[in-house]
Amino acid sequence: MFKGRLFRKLLLLALASIVLVGCSDKDKDKGSKGSEKGADGKVQLTLWLTPQWEGVLDATENGASYDSFFKHAAERFSEEYDKHDVEIKVEVVASDQRDELLNVNLNGGTPPDIFYESVFAMGEYAHRGALVPLDDIVDDEAKSDIGETYWDNVTFGDEVYFYPFSHMPGTLTYNADMFKAAGLEDYIGEENEIKTWTLEEYETILNTLKKDLPKDEYPGAYPMALYALNNQGDTWNLAYLRMFGNEFFDEDGNIVLDDANGAKAANWLKKIYDEGLTNPGAESVSSNDTIAMFQNQQLGINFTNSVLFNNMKADMESGKSPKFDARLANIPSESGKPLTFTYVTGAAVFDTGDETKIQVSKDFVKFFSSDPELVKSSKNGVPVRSSVVEQYTDENPLFAAYDENAQYVFSFTGNVPGYNQLRQVLYPELQALYTGQKTAEEIVKDYQEKGNDIIKESKEDSVIFQ
Amino acid sequence: MNINRAALKENMTGYLFIAPQFILFLLFLVYPIFEGARLSLYKINYQKETFVGFDNYIKLFSDPVFVKSTINTIIFVVFIVALTVLFGIFVASAVFDKNAKYVSFIRGSYYIPVMVSMVVMSMIWGFLLNPANGLIPFVTREMGLPAVNFLGNKDLVLPVIIFVTFATNVGQAIILYIAAMIGVPKDLFEAAEIDGASRMQVIRQILIPSVKPMTVYITIINIIAVLKIFVVIQLLTGGGPNNASTTLMYFLYNNAFKYNQLGIASAVGVIMFTITLLLSIPQLRSVLKND
Repeated sequence: MFKGRLFRKLLLLALASIVLVGCSDKDKDKGSKGSEKGADGKVQLTLWLTPQWEGVLDATENGASYDSFFKHAAERFSEEYDKHDVEIKVEVVASDQRDELLNVNLNGGTPPDIFYESVFAMGEYAHRGALVPLDDIVDDEAKSDIGETYWDNVTFGDEVYFYPFSHMPGTLTYNADMFKAAGLEDYIGEENEIKTWTLEEYETILNTLKKDLPKDEYPGAYPMALYALNNQGDTWNLAYLRMFGNEFFDEDGNIVLDDANGAKAANWLKKIYDEGLTNPGAESVSSNDTIAMFQNQQLGINFTNSVLFNNMKADMESGKSPKFDARLANIPSESGKPLTFTYVTGAAVFDTGDETKIQVSKDFVKFFSSDPELVKSSKNGVPVRSSVVEQYTDENPLFAAYDENAQYVFSFTGNVPGYNQLRQVLYPELQALYTGQKTAEEIVKDYQEKGNDIIKESKEDSVIFQ
Repeated sequence: MNINRAALKENMTGYLFIAPQFILFLLFLVYPIFEGARLSLYKINYQKETFVGFDNYIKLFSDPVFVKSTINTIIFVVFIVALTVLFGIFVASAVFDKNAKYVSFIRGSYYIPVMVSMVVMSMIWGFLLNPANGLIPFVTREMGLPAVNFLGNKDLVLPVIIFVTFATNVGQAIILYIAAMIGVPKDLFEAAEIDGASRMQVIRQILIPSVKPMTVYITIINIIAVLKIFVVIQLLTGGGPNNASTTLMYFLYNNAFKYNQLGIASAVGVIMFTITLLLSIPQLRSVLKND
């Protein structure tokens, strides 16, 4: 009897605690709250970024690291900003952990104030209503200095959600020393050229590297990088799937990979994999693995973008990795018209619900994205500002090559909502292809089906589409 | 009523002593269970929660990846627990009555992997097995043997994960079995010796029945631990190839943190909680029976 009553009392206490806790944080509305200032009245902001370039201006500086630029910009902003006393905490987060970190922090109500990243990876958060529009900090000077393509890239619906800073064209990189060792001199481009090969030439290169690369000089080396462990570096996989003319998205933003050209591209990937023209085990190799392998001269051709390429060259200069002659090339296609794409990078401001912090965050984004000295750092990628490109064209002749290559750029995201989740369903299909679980025809069909379901659901949830 | 009040007053000190732990238990265990169950009935995005009834559960059961995750989890539970119990009994029964220093050495040797973080262990196995630049594929290639991708072959990936997890966890079972076997009354062994029983008979007729409560305990804690298997999947295979090694916990993680499908993830959590609860009932009953 007594035990029963005691149990009831404990149960009552338990339920009361649950109700109390349950009531504490039910309000999901992001209304205007008071500014969360530090005890000393400072406005404290958090800026997250994924690894971009090292150093303030370039990677050769002493103690150059991924957060150097933003720490320097934050220091200057704190000194020069007169509306508030500001402290900015800069944190570098791993690219492959970005979504996990953001989802946890968004659901926990603690998103960063600012995130600097490639727009394609962050567009999802604009669709989800987690970002604030930045139109009020974009002035005419910025609009005239930054080309319209870049503004289109950062505009969702009618509003600008990212302040473009630089962009990173995606290409292939090849080891010219390996090419020479295999007798492929004719296929090597100029030092500052983005070489374009036909598909036929590309296949000749892969086969020759496999057959004629001296094994004693390059032990355990493979012609080309192929990876599908996770979603990292998947833009190149998407480009390979367009090699035979597939458009990937239709006008309504639906995936149209399931046609003869899509299947042909998937078959080509499977063919070069089976013929040993790539590294083995693509299904369990990551893009990071292939970067390391290329730097250790275990791969003849790998994927790259302008920042990765610069970082690789800096590693060679500093002795962190073996030195060799690395050059750039386009992704070939059957039609002969090469494939390339670009990642526009820039900062976005999260809707933290604190008007003061949002305003200061916007001011900081505008500050480092338009200050004449600070925007010079965009030369580590390719600057989006014509004024910076002009300043650095002599110093970096590749800017001209990238500029000429811009005619081949395709939009790889199609600006569709749910892109982050789309990335998660691509690599399992590629794994199924490489392990022989599915045919090329099956994977393009299944990816299209799953992908279009994701796009449909994401459109229903998107604040942009509502 | 007066009696109750008097009893309550008398026991107040005791209740106060358990209060901190009890409140934490309510806050961090009981509340999340109810909240998880509630969330599993909602579709959640950044700005709003929409009640969808059992839609999340219906979606789950029609998702082939969820079905695959469930099957894989069952395979892991059955094989890892069986291997752990069998190998634990085998090693413990072989050494428990030997020289104390030898027993300590064996115990220590098997326990070291338990102390090493699963993250570190998974990374080491990753370095060994990476098909492009791992040590084992390199050695097999150098020896002219056919290349085998242990992490990328859908038929091999489960046995590899079972082995890695088993090798890391078995130390704990060995320690517990040795302790239990040392505690078996010596007179039973003496009687068996007088009766001329063989070592095998001693193990089968005396040791194994005597350590039955420990077997139940080890089985239950390992089932619960393996149901939550995650780190080794995340670091070694990423659930691949083509979801061949994905598990319920990994599926839950992907939905919650990668796809931001909190409703679906909560539904998986509720299903896992129910399975764990059902599996824990025998243990709970045996504990209550002893009382």
